[in-house]
Order: sequence, then structure tokens, then C-alpha cells
Amino acid sequence: MGLFMQTLINGILIGGIFITIAVGFSISYGVMHIVDFAVGEWIMLGAFTAFWLNMYTNVDPLLLIPFIALFFALIGYLFQPVIQKVVNIKHRSAAMMALAFTFGLSTLIRGSALTLWGFNNRNLITVLSEKNVDLFGITVPAIRAGATVFSILVTAAFAYFLYRTKTGITIRAAAENKTVAGLMGIDGHRISRLVYSIYVGLTAMSGVFIGSIFSVFPDMGLRYTAFAFFVVVAGGMGSFSGAIVAGLMLGLISSFVSVYMGGAYVFLILFFILYLILVFFPKGILGKGW
Amino acid sequence: MLKMKQLTQPRVIIFILSLIVLCTLPWVVSSFILRIATGIMMWIGLALSWNMLGGYMGYISFGHGASFGVGAYITGLLMMLLHLPFFVALIISGVITYIFAMIVGYPTLRLSGSYFAIGTWAFAEMMRQLVLVLDTTGGPEGLRLPPMLNDNFFYFVMFGLALLVFLTAYFFFENSDFGLKVKAVREEEVAARTLGLNTTWIKNQVFALSSMFAGIIGGAFAYWITYIHPDSVLGPLIADQMVIMVLLGGIGTLFGPVIGAIVLYVGNQYMLAAWGQSSAYLIILGLAICLVILFLPEGLLSLPRVFKSTTKGAFARLFSPPRKTRI
Repeated sequence: MGLFMQTLINGILIGGIFITIAVGFSISYGVMHIVDFAVGEWIMLGAFTAFWLNMYTNVDPLLLIPFIALFFALIGYLFQPVIQKVVNIKHRSAAMMALAFTFGLSTLIRGSALTLWGFNNRNLITVLSEKNVDLFGITVPAIRAGATVFSILVTAAFAYFLYRTKTGITIRAAAENKTVAGLMGIDGHRISRLVYSIYVGLTAMSGVFIGSIFSVFPDMGLRYTAFAFFVVVAGGMGSFSGAIVAGLMLGLISSFVSVYMGGAYVFLILFFILYLILVFFPKGILGKGW
Repeated sequence: MLKMKQLTQPRVIIFILSLIVLCTLPWVVSSFILRIATGIMMWIGLALSWNMLGGYMGYISFGHGASFGVGAYITGLLMMLLHLPFFVALIISGVITYIFAMIVGYPTLRLSGSYFAIGTWAFAEMMRQLVLVLDTTGGPEGLRLPPMLNDNFFYFVMFGLALLVFLTAYFFFENSDFGLKVKAVREEEVAARTLGLNTTWIKNQVFALSSMFAGIIGGAFAYWITYIHPDSVLGPLIADQMVIMVLLGGIGTLFGPVIGAIVLYVGNQYMLAAWGQSSAYLIILGLAICLVILFLPEGLLSLPRVFKSTTKGAFARLFSPPRKTRI
């Protein structure tokens, strides 16, 4: 029973972080209609930025989070016109070209990271690392609990932004129908740029948590791209509640499979479930996706 | 069928001459160059097989490496467990990959666009994880095949397979009703269905056919390399390279994948020789995709058209597929 509860709590805590990534990812898909294969690489870059900054300035990685989020939001803001150029290419399958473009981008970032920093694992040590909270006989690592709480707060703030502010409403309008939104005077390019920058910022920020819970290595991107796809596809693209359910589901599945079946089976089971969900519930398990 | 007049066209003469040159290659060049030529043939076949699905039908798959790996593993298992001769194992693995692709394709092809790309990608990763945990496939230890040290043999096997895929692409996709139907699916699937085309059948056939070719080439690769590992035949790099070769050369054309395969494979081997096994290859690969998509979305094949004014279009006419007035 103790093991079961421990696994359950761990699963929920891992899943919490993926909700933030999924929310940014699916809103950027909704506006730009691009599936970003580079999502895991932004996570990796966020984690590495925190690692190097921590190494040279000795500031705790958790305090660096606002800086990293802003820095990557700026990178996304500056980089988005390039992706927009690909989407606007006069080609019979522009959307597919954009997909292949992000795929190339992810290969480029991963290759650069591997060449620059080698294959070694690095640890991101924060003030919360190695500390535990005891909760009714279950040990909860403080960093996981902190990451989950922070992620939920950020997601809630983002939800408030999307549903209650004027800019958020224009973003949702652009996601629903870009042409009609354009006729209502909403600048689609400006919205795309804003959304992409928010998405990159949120993703890189989650990278700091992921790096401090697990470890930081240049090859980590592929793994988290798979996780992000799982959450977004299972939850349904662009669905808030779906992302939350799917994020928790991902955490629970990976934690239960690795405890009761063995670590080698985690990806087999996850990809199998992802494939089944794609084929049988293409709008997500709650049926609320686009 | 072919008439005498068609046989004397310059295009056909160049094709036959290049076939003769390629057949005499093993007796002309060193064994190092021959191995590279074998690799080029293999990648031409793979790129052309991906192009059937991604280029002519417009279904971008990031999981085509799964067919390659499944073919390689089935050939390896048939040769090691049942001690079948190579060609029998190759044919059986082709049939099995065809049936396997039919079964997998039926649900997967209901997806389209980005969802199809993610679905095939997830499926390919699933296959890799499956092979890693199974006992019969050797798991992470990989699988050894009986060694066969005859470079000429493998050159001719790969050459034959590449030629087979090329001719299939030419006769079934460039110059037939079937090819027009496939292109109709790419342009507007709903409209194609309202015109009475059985799009489900067409999509399944193309998917199974291109998977079968990838599987057969995978089987030949397994026997050539004699040691296969889940990461070497089912890894994401196989599918990535197929996609990049086609994009680099020109998607949806006959010669684009050929040119892309030659350029990328020669570049890859040159880098291997110059710098050794390096992750810098990934940088070049990624940069190549991004730059090609940004500045040359129709691939290297469109370069002659870009410089048409200087070459008076002669180059472009030579390499572009024959234009048909029939739509």
C-alpha cells in the first residue's frame, strides 16, 4: 500500500509539470497550426541555460526562472518571423513544410548541444534538492512538490490571461478562426508572434524544473518531445481541461509502469497508448480538441 | 508498350548508358568507392520509397524507418532461426512488411496532416521500444547475421533494388492512371472521393507498397552490415534522412530523391572520413533542412528553373519529368 501511494503521488507530481508545457504548446498550435517538433529542445535549452548561469553566477536556478522565461520569450519573439516565412511559402503543402522545418530545427539544436557539451549528464542543484516533505508516511521530494505547485500557478495565471483579458480573447479568437478574426481587426501576425514567444518562454521555464528533478543532458529533448506530444494529443489540441487530465495521466502511467513493470517498458506503453489515442480519439480523450 | 521511337529519345539513351556504366562499376573502382556506391543505391531506393508516400500522396511520415527496421529484423530472424537462404528470406520479409503495413496503415491512414506525422512517429518509436524488450530479437544486444564478404554481390543487390523502386515510381506513379489517382488524393482528398475514387484503398496500397520497398531494402542492409541493432535500423535517424533527402532533392518528383540521396550520402561519408563519427553531422543535417525549406522549397531540382535564363531551360527540360497534357 505504501509503495502504491508513493507511486501515485510521484505520478501526479511528474504530471503537473507537463501541464504547463502542454498548455503553451497547444495554444501555439491553435494559432499557428504548426506542430513544433522542437518542443523538447526548448526544454533542454532552458535547463542548460539554468545550469550554465548557476555555474557562473552561483544564483539558485529557481531564482533564475523569471529571467529564463523572459529570455526565451524574447528568443521566441525574435525567431517567430522565420517560422512565419515558412508558413507563408507558396507551396502546395506549406503546413507540412513547416512541420519538417521544426523537425530540422530540433535536429540542429540537438546536434549543436551534443557537439558543444558532449554526452555527459549534469545535475542542476537547487535549494530544494535533497529535501523531502513527509506526508502521512509518504516521502514527497520538495523539488517535485514545488515544481508542481509553481506549474499549476503559472497555468492558472495563463488561463486567466487567456479567458479574462482583452489580448487573451483576441488570441482565442485567432485560434478559432484566423480569417474571421482578421476581418474583425485582429492582427494575426502580431498574435502569432506573441503566442509563440509565450510558448517558448513557458516551455524553457519548465525545462528548469525538469532539469532539476531529473538531470540535464543534450539528448533529453527527444524524450520530452515525446511526452509533450503525448499530453497534447491525448488531451486534444488546444483544450485546457484535456491537457490537465492528460498531463496527470502521463505522470501516472510512466510512474506505475516503471515501478511495476520496469523502466524499459515505459516508452513502449506510452507510445502504444499515444498511437491508440491518435487512431481512435483524434480529438483527445475528453473530445474537446480542435 | 515501348515503341522504337520512344527508345531513341535522348532521355532513354542516357538512362540505358548510365545503367551500363553502373553495371561495370565494380570492375572499375576500388572497394571503398564501391561500398559508398552501394550505400548511395540503398538511400536512393529508400528516398524514392518515401517519396511515393510523402511526395506523390502528400502524407508526410516520420516513421518510415519502422518499415526499414522491421524488414531488416524479419530477414535477420528468418536467416538465423530458420536458416533460410538470403533471397528467400528477403522475399518473405517483403511480403510480411507488405501485409504488416496493410494492417497498420488501415487505422493510421485515417489520420491526416500533422496527426499522421505524429502517429507514424509514435508507431516507429513504439516498434523500436518493442524490439528493445523482446527476447527473440536479441533486445539491446542486437542481432548477428551470417557474414558474407562479397562487395560486388551487395552492390548488385542494392542496385537492383534501387532500380526496381525507380522503375515502380516511373511506371506506377509518374506515368499511369494510378499515379494520377494518388496525386488526386494529395491535391484534394474529399474531391477525389466525390469523383468516385476509393481513396481508402489507394492510400492503403501506396502505404503498403512504399513500406514493402523500405522493408526489402532493410533486409538487404541487414545482410550487408551483418549486425543490426534497434538503434541502427529502427532509430529516428533513418526516417530523418529519408525525409531530408527527398526535401533536399525536390519533393514529389522522380529525380529529386535520387539527387538528394546522392548529395546527402556523399556529404555524410565525406564528413565521416574527414572528422570521424561526430555529432556535427546532426548540425549540418538540421541546417540543411531549414535552409532548403526557407530558400529552396522545391529542392535542388528547382535550381535549373531558378537559373533558367542563363541555361535557356535545356538543363531543366532534361531533368524534369515528361509533362502530360492529360489532367
